[in-house]
Amino acid sequence: MKLHTPPRTERMAVDQDWSSVYPTAAAFKPASVPLPIRMGYPVKRGVPPPKEGNLELIKIPNFLHLTPPAIKKHCAALKDFCTEWPSALDSDEKCEQHFPIEIETVDYVSAGTSIRNPKARVVTLRVKLSHLNLDDHAKKKLIKLVGERYCKDTDMLTITTDRCPLRRQNYDYSIHLLTVLYHESWKTEMWESEKTEEDMEEYIWENSCSQKNALDTLLRIKASENVSNVTKEELLASEVVKNYRNSVIALKNEGETENNMSQYKESVKKLLNIQALP
Amino acid sequence: MQVHWRNNTDHFEKRHQTFLSVTVCVLPSQAKHSEHHEGRHYSIPLEEVKAVFPHGLPSRFQQQIKTFNEACLMVRKPALELFTYLKSSNFAHPAVRYVIYGEKGTGKTMTLCHVVHYCARQGWLVLHIPDAHLWVKNCKELMKSSYKEERLDQPLQASVWLKNFKASNERFLKEIKTQKTYVWGKQESTEEGRPLGEVVEQGLARTRNASDAVGVVLKELKQQCQRGSFRLLVAVDGVNALWGRTTLKREDKSPVSPGELTLVYNLRKLMMNNWNGGAIVTTLSQTGSLFKPRSAYLPQELLGKVSHGLPPPSFTMGNRNPGWGTASGHGGRVCFSLSSHNIL
Repeated sequence: MKLHTPPRTERMAVDQDWSSVYPTAAAFKPASVPLPIRMGYPVKRGVPPPKEGNLELIKIPNFLHLTPPAIKKHCAALKDFCTEWPSALDSDEKCEQHFPIEIETVDYVSAGTSIRNPKARVVTLRVKLSHLNLDDHAKKKLIKLVGERYCKDTDMLTITTDRCPLRRQNYDYSIHLLTVLYHESWKTEMWESEKTEEDMEEYIWENSCSQKNALDTLLRIKASENVSNVTKEELLASEVVKNYRNSVIALKNEGETENNMSQYKESVKKLLNIQALP
Repeated sequence: MQVHWRNNTDHFEKRHQTFLSVTVCVLPSQAKHSEHHEGRHYSIPLEEVKAVFPHGLPSRFQQQIKTFNEACLMVRKPALELFTYLKSSNFAHPAVRYVIYGEKGTGKTMTLCHVVHYCARQGWLVLHIPDAHLWVKNCKELMKSSYKEERLDQPLQASVWLKNFKASNERFLKEIKTQKTYVWGKQESTEEGRPLGEVVEQGLARTRNASDAVGVVLKELKQQCQRGSFRLLVAVDGVNALWGRTTLKREDKSPVSPGELTLVYNLRKLMMNNWNGGAIVTTLSQTGSLFKPRSAYLPQELLGKVSHGLPPPSFTMGNRNPGWGTASGHGGRVCFSLSSHNIL
């Protein structure tokens, strides 16, 4: 017969040092964890099984070795190997202003015979386009060249390189890519003059069919009222045409929303002088 | 439909009361419909229905007319808006194009029919194309046009439309005279100065020339409307068919674009706003449209990229709130109020 000694949990003080109970990653030991945990599917009109001899609790990974006080101790131990954060860089904006390019690399450690990991060669370079000196044409060209790697909402260009075997080579390659993109986007090739309306990123009202037709209609209206000598420039500069132009641009660029449609309707009503009787 | 009823039970009580009041009192003449008539139904005498709508009403509504022996149209807000615009429009200015859009079942076709009836009562010449989608699909006979080489004729669709057009506009066809001589064949021609009804007869008699007859009618009406002797209302249902794709193919299996069909080509010319003396009222419809997803209802979605190149539609009226006038809701309401009518 085996003597049943009470489990260790009954002799644990409330303010004990938990990192000495679980200094490293270890399986769940029910006798060492003083928590009344139940886990598993309950029988009919029953409760989940208790922690003693519970395979479900032992199978799953646990983070009992990574409680906040334990992590504090890790940081304190690592502090000797770190240098001080420069005091001048105390806000995110200052960091971004002085160091616009961010390089991300990942190091991998695993228990095994080899320290090498092929995933460690990946280098990610992130930069905001507003920090680069680009004019309108250069920015549009760069975005077209880069394609999916640019995020419009955050204005961030992300280049991920992993084609070289070493991390240093990948880093050099990503810097080289950035340089090439920057210089190429500033150049204008001969064939860029063949850019058609479908290639345009946003709708431009000047010299479009919409402008032509609006002017035609207005000229016809004026002709029917026998008001002559109204030039195109005058019409273009008038309030109603500007209103119409803004509403058309909003419709085409932002898509159709209730607001846009009602704005368009109001501007057309004013343009064509349609009044609703009360 | 069940969910719909549950949500709108308070609507039902209100509607029930207003319909009762409509059957009791005589509704003022249609020209005087105003905002407080919104939501009520008004009935059109059946003889007028036959005269004004030989081909305009949706098939479900026609079944409803047969069942209940009455044609009741609901007065909707966009229709009332349109009436104010039409009343105050200046006919010396280029024709204004109105586009009615909205989700499925919100009453766009019925609004259009309401406007057509209003204009017919006011004495306008109504050019009603009931469903432009019918012209770009399911055509049994496609012939090469004798007038222009690259275009294609659709004799069946053209003759059906001519028949219905004649039924609704007899009076005008006698009054309007042609301004040019049209030669149909070796021995057939229509002289200048003959009533337009002869062109229509020619199209009906010889289906080969039906599409060209339609083209002639549209051209003449557009030219003569500017003189001011009559007002022209162009009412097109499903106008997005004119600028979309067709499912028709030539004999060598090459696809046909809408611009190559005579009927569509001539109608597109009427859609331009380079004429005056009338108005153009159109509807955008996804039902019956080709190659468009079921959820599309906004103008740019249905008209597609051509809406960039088109002269912009002059403006749009949204038919919102399916709860107000869905076909199922409408049918439900009429049934409800009709039973109470019988009880009374």
